[in-house]
Amino acid sequence: MNCLDLRRAAMLDPRRLDTEALAHVERCDACRDFLAQALELEAQIEHALRTPVPHGLEARVVRNALESPRFTRRHALAAGLALATAAGVALLWKRNDPLALAGIDFVVFEEAQAIADAKPADVKVLARVVREMGVSLPAQLGEIRYVGTCPFDGLTAHHVLVKTPLGKVTLLLIPSRPLASRAVASAHGFEAAVVPAAVGSVAIIASTPRSIARAETLLKSG
Amino acid sequence: MLFPGRQTAFEQAVGRYFGDLYRYAYWLCRNRWQAEDVVQESLTRAWRAWPGLREERAIKSWLFTIVHREHLRSASSAPRARADENVPEPAFDPDPARTMELEAALRELPEDSQNALLLQVLGGFSCAEIAGMLGASEGAVMTRLTRARQALRRRLGPAENEPGVRQA
Ligand SMILES: [Zn+2]
Repeated sequence: MNCLDLRRAAMLDPRRLDTEALAHVERCDACRDFLAQALELEAQIEHALRTPVPHGLEARVVRNALESPRFTRRHALAAGLALATAAGVALLWKRNDPLALAGIDFVVFEEAQAIADAKPADVKVLARVVREMGVSLPAQLGEIRYVGTCPFDGLTAHHVLVKTPLGKVTLLLIPSRPLASRAVASAHGFEAAVVPAAVGSVAIIASTPRSIARAETLLKSG
Repeated sequence: MLFPGRQTAFEQAVGRYFGDLYRYAYWLCRNRWQAEDVVQESLTRAWRAWPGLREERAIKSWLFTIVHREHLRSASSAPRARADENVPEPAFDPDPARTMELEAALRELPEDSQNALLLQVLGGFSCAEIAGMLGASEGAVMTRLTRARQALRRRLGPAENEPGVRQA
C-alpha cells in the first residue's frame, strides 16, 4: 500500500481501515496526519448527522404502527374460522392470484425506482386512457401524487399513485390486459385486487382491503 | 394479543434502530415533519410485513430500505423541502459554528452521495451492503462515498493535502 492507496481508503471509510492500511500509517508521518484529520472530520460528520430525535416520537410511531389494521390477523382469522367449519382446513387459504401478486411485487420492489426514474407524464394521456377503459378517477378518490407509464407483467401500464384518506393507493391501468373476473392477493403487508374494466383491467394495490374497496368503488363510479 | 412474541420482537428491533431510522429520514427529507411521516409510514408497513420476515440479521437493512423507499414515494410529487427551522434543541455542541457549516455542506451534497454517506455513518453499513440496498454497484457506492468526503473536506477540512485526487 502506498500513500495514495491509504488516502483513498481513508476517504472511503476512515474508521474501517484494513491492517495493511494501518501498517502504512504506522510508518508514514504524512499519512498519519492525514488520517488524524480524516478521523476528526468523521467525528464532526457523525455529530452533525446525529440530529436529536423528538421526545416521545418512538412511542407514538410504534403505537400507531401496531394499531394499524392488519388483514393477516383479524380478517384472516375470522374468515379462516368460518371456512374451517364449512369446508375444512384445506380450503382455508385462497391462493394469491399471480397478476394481483405481481401488482404487490411492483409496489414493494419497483415502484420507488419507477417514480425516481420517470419523466413527468402527461395527465391528458391518463384522462384519455381512463375514458377509453371505461373507468373513472373522481377527485374524491384522493390527491394524485404521481402519474407515469411503466412496464408491468410484459405490458405497458399507466401507473398512478393516489394519496387517499385511507392511505396511499397504487393503480396500474392496463388497457391491453383483458380479465374475466376479479382476483386478489395479499403479501408483503399489502393487499391487491385486479378488476376487469370495459377495456383491459386495473390493478389496485393498497395497505388494507378497506382502502382497496373504496378505490374500487370509486373507479367504477363513472 | 395473538402474537405477543412477534410484537415484542418488532418493538425490540425498532427500539434498536429507531433513532438512526429517524435521522436517516430526517436527512433524506431535510424536514422534521416529513421525516416523522416517512418513519410512521415505514414502520406501519414494516409491522404489516413483519410475520413474513424470517432473517433476523437482515432486519436492519430491511428497515433502512423501507425508509428510503417511503421517502422516494413521499417525495415523488412534493418538492424536496428546504431545511427545517424547527429542529429540536441540539445536544451540547463544543463548536456550533462548525457544526452549522458542516450541516449546510451535508445538505448540499448530491442526493446519491449523501444517501450513501448516511447509510454508512448512521446505519453502519459496508459498501457491499449499501450497494445491495440501493441497487447500485459496489464501485458506484465507493465513488459516491469518496466524493461526499472530498466535498466535505474541501469545504471544511485543511486546505492542503487534497486527498485521492493528487498523486501522492
Ligand atoms: Zn503514506
